[in-house]
Amino acid sequence: MIKRHTLIDMIMHWFNAVCWLFLLGTGLGLLHNGHLQLFGGAWSRWMRSLFGSGETLLLSHEVVGIVWAAGFLLYGLFRFRKAVWPFTREILTVSPKRDIQWFMKKGSQMNLGRGIMNKFGVDSQLPDQGFYNIGQKMFAVPALFGGILIAVSGIVMLLSRITVTETAWVQWAILIHFLCAGLVSGGLLMHIYVASFAPGERPAFISMFTGYVPEHYAKHHHRIWYESVRQASPGRGAPGGERK
Amino acid sequence: MTAKLAMVIDSKVCIDCRACKVACKVENKVPEGHWRNWIKQQMPSPEAVIDQPQNARLDFQPGNCMHCDEATCIQACPTGATYRNPADNTIQVNKKLCIGCGSCIPACPYGARYRHPEQKVVDKCDFCAARRLRGEAPACVVTCPTKARVFGDINDPASDVARLLKEKETVRVVGNYTDTRPNLYYVSTTAPMDWPGKAEAPTAIGFLKALFLPVVGVAGITLLSVLNMFARQLVTKDNNVDEEKGEKHD
Repeated sequence: MIKRHTLIDMIMHWFNAVCWLFLLGTGLGLLHNGHLQLFGGAWSRWMRSLFGSGETLLLSHEVVGIVWAAGFLLYGLFRFRKAVWPFTREILTVSPKRDIQWFMKKGSQMNLGRGIMNKFGVDSQLPDQGFYNIGQKMFAVPALFGGILIAVSGIVMLLSRITVTETAWVQWAILIHFLCAGLVSGGLLMHIYVASFAPGERPAFISMFTGYVPEHYAKHHHRIWYESVRQASPGRGAPGGERK
Repeated sequence: MTAKLAMVIDSKVCIDCRACKVACKVENKVPEGHWRNWIKQQMPSPEAVIDQPQNARLDFQPGNCMHCDEATCIQACPTGATYRNPADNTIQVNKKLCIGCGSCIPACPYGARYRHPEQKVVDKCDFCAARRLRGEAPACVVTCPTKARVFGDINDPASDVARLLKEKETVRVVGNYTDTRPNLYYVSTTAPMDWPGKAEAPTAIGFLKALFLPVVGVAGITLLSVLNMFARQLVTKDNNVDEEKGEKHD
């Protein structure tokens, strides 16, 4: 087994997951307008009746939003050099030659299947990937930077009732808050499917609770990372420990 | 039939004493520099003064939030904080749900809304909701010395407003741009008539409305793709072969 996640990272992952689902549900419920509604306004009505009223829905969204942002602020402060910076560097590192091919092939494989790909003479073998594959990076980048924008725009909206006098700030904050949440949510659907249901991904799901992935999984899915971990401690094969 | 509260104003008898403005300001603690109601003026034209000085008159027009049937402020509010009270057809602001974005302010052709400088949320005439709970008429109506402002339920045939609407010709002040079907009526004629502006949305909120469906659409397409993957996974074991046995590195 190879260590992939630290305990604090796993805690933050599930903290983030719970907050996100709550904030997404309540946030969509807060949009209550003929032009801005899901299912003909039904979602907003359900949320308001579930929470008792619009104002308790708003208050709950604000409180959980503050807890979420504060949690990540603390995490960012204490884990910047050990986790946040390496993570940011990893997700921003792309190799077009490998990654475009990986993305096209993996997308075809999952949507069409290997049989159809072979029929058209496409080799379905995937190029090697690092700690994250390009699909994960394409979700991680909007999740990180979108998350920061969501937090900042949320704070602007909160301050609107305390200090902000320029309403244009609040109006742009609403737009940014919505666009970022929408963008990340699209990726979130894919993330949840791949992690929870997709065949062959079970070890990654389990590793979010145990912190470890089997060696064959690391080798098959994240070969570049696997090689670097093995080289870092050659004597013990592919042991646990922090990634590079 | 539910109530429909409205005001019928005889602007001819208004003497511009501004007692209604003062009463409103005191009753609703309206902060300095802001008003929930107004009295518009129109000077007679120079020609009228010269040609028929005996008929030339200075027009006064008392007004406030018109609690419109086609409320552009409700259409502008993203959270539903501005809403129509179904019990009496008035437009109200839930100040605990208002986030102070101010989108509704340019949406009102009558300029009836302002952002309260201390509360930091929007404020406007609510037909004195607190007084009505005690069974009293709005402060501006009660205080008016010439009884220019008449208030009541136009769906109740016995009310003064219903009687006035039935017996007299009335007009509504609708500008050149947006007809919001206001619920303030003026007996016979009133002036000025062309002052209301255009209902407008702030740039960012315009973008939000334009981009809402595309963003939901992109998320929807992602969902369809995910469902397709899931369905494929259920009907074929193809993927398992890919992942578990078809490894090129072993």
